Amino acid sequence: MRRLLMALVKSIVWANGAYAQSPRVEPPSTGLPPSVPTESTTPDLVVDLSRARVSITSAFQGESILMFGMFDPPGEVVVVVVGPEARETVMRKQRFLGLWLNTGRQSFDDVPAYYAIAASQPLQRLLARGAGGEILSLEDRMSTVKPVGPRDAAELAQFRGGLVEVKRREGLYPAAIGQVTVQAGRLFRVDLPFPSRLPEGVYEVKAYLLRDGKIVAAVSRPLPVGKVGFSAQLAGWASRDGPLYGLGAIAMALFAGWLGGAVMRRL
Amino acid sequence: MEIYLPIAEQSMNVFVLLGLGAAAGLLAGMFGVGGGFLATPLLIFVGIPPAVAVASQANQVIANSVSSLQIHWRRGNVDLRMGLVLLMGGMVGSSAGVSLFTYLKRIGQIDFVIAVLYVVMLSTIGLLMLTESLSTYLKRRRNPESPRGKLHTHYLVHRLPLKLRFYKSKLYISALLPVGLGFLIGILSAILGVGGGFVLVPAMIYLLGMPTAVVIGTSNFQILFVAANVTFLQATTNGTVDVVLALLLILGGVVGAPIGSRLAAKLPGVVLRGLMSVLILAVAAELLFELLRTPPSPFSLGAREVSP
Repeated sequence: MRRLLMALVKSIVWANGAYAQSPRVEPPSTGLPPSVPTESTTPDLVVDLSRARVSITSAFQGESILMFGMFDPPGEVVVVVVGPEARETVMRKQRFLGLWLNTGRQSFDDVPAYYAIAASQPLQRLLARGAGGEILSLEDRMSTVKPVGPRDAAELAQFRGGLVEVKRREGLYPAAIGQVTVQAGRLFRVDLPFPSRLPEGVYEVKAYLLRDGKIVAAVSRPLPVGKVGFSAQLAGWASRDGPLYGLGAIAMALFAGWLGGAVMRRL
Repeated sequence: MEIYLPIAEQSMNVFVLLGLGAAAGLLAGMFGVGGGFLATPLLIFVGIPPAVAVASQANQVIANSVSSLQIHWRRGNVDLRMGLVLLMGGMVGSSAGVSLFTYLKRIGQIDFVIAVLYVVMLSTIGLLMLTESLSTYLKRRRNPESPRGKLHTHYLVHRLPLKLRFYKSKLYISALLPVGLGFLIGILSAILGVGGGFVLVPAMIYLLGMPTAVVIGTSNFQILFVAANVTFLQATTNGTVDVVLALLLILGGVVGAPIGSRLAAKLPGVVLRGLMSVLILAVAAELLFELLRTPPSPFSLGAREVSP
């Protein structure tokens, strides 16, 4: 029975995956670690992603990745996606002599580049029942980011709010990535949206199976996000060897300008 | 059709960028100055981060000035000596400008400074051009054979020390003035991503008193090297030069420039200058509006720093 179901899941997923895939051929892999399937600690929860990685190519416009799987009922599924952590600086504008300019700034450490959470039931209800310690809602997660330097609590709350607001606007903290949908009582799926302006790094996609508010199974999958192909080479070159990249940019412009001038004279 | 810009780290419509390049090229073809002073604000309007817009625009300026320089060099319209003296100031100025840019970026004020400088510069130039073209137009209507003014007046330039003879420009003036001028243009070039021709050309004519024939070629000579210096330093210190963006702007410019020069041949100069001044003032007004209006959100993010 389980085999049959798995086969069904695979075929649904395959069809979905094929549908989600653009006609473009997947470029060859780069130095990023491959997303290897992690064995579930228990057989209660099996998950997979429609794509093993998010490839930022020259045609990248953001991407939606499907996470799907199967669980042993009863239970509820929660999916959390966390991007790599870094220090972020929030700036606040104020009116000064009639003009709006940045007057305040506050840095926070360990801010996830991306954070999304979805569940097969309203989150508040699930998390209130005890899993809250391990699974954090966006609000709970953001309350743990460490401010750099002293500042009074009210001000900090404002900057923290500003941080979430900007990240939301950029699509990096999707407010509600459609609820996890369950079919046939044991198949689940959820779409994970990634915007075009996406920080690189290894993201983590975690799925939890909850019963009576307790985590009974958890599966984690790394999801590498990185530039590939031409844009990866250019960006890598620019960050590794700025001076050489600068010279290359100058040479490109000299050649293009010379060529343009030559073409223009012919016209 | 969207393309991902690897340094700006966002996707952008190819035709918007080509169109911007073409508009800048059109201006370049019409007026003989680079269109950078309009292209950079427009890039910022469409959502390119100002730091990337400025640095990539400097890269585009190289292409623009090299194709113009080709023509003027062949015609012998470059005062090499004057160009080199200007360049001495220009190199120091642009290097200082990039340092200033880096500092302003670190303290989070670069966007504001860019916007304010553009508002001041564009509204000044726009108003000067508008009044000039209006008065010329009115004068010409009243009496078509208006007498020409003096070519240049003699004042400060001829009293400063370190005088040099510039044979091609038929000038004997202090080197301090072109060095200072080059320095200022260099700073402008580094912070605003412009070649600076629209300031340099009038300054060379009215301030230095150079003959008009050699002005464009000589200014392009200095702009080429200053823009190359800015591109190199921006790539080295800030990593904000996006060659994909620059290349699209250059390609657009190649298409726009011949159209611009054809238009320039058809329309009378007064009308051209009038149109251009209106366009410049519109961009200045939009930038000023952005500074004055209450932003949708007071918050923005600085650069992400991967944990130390």
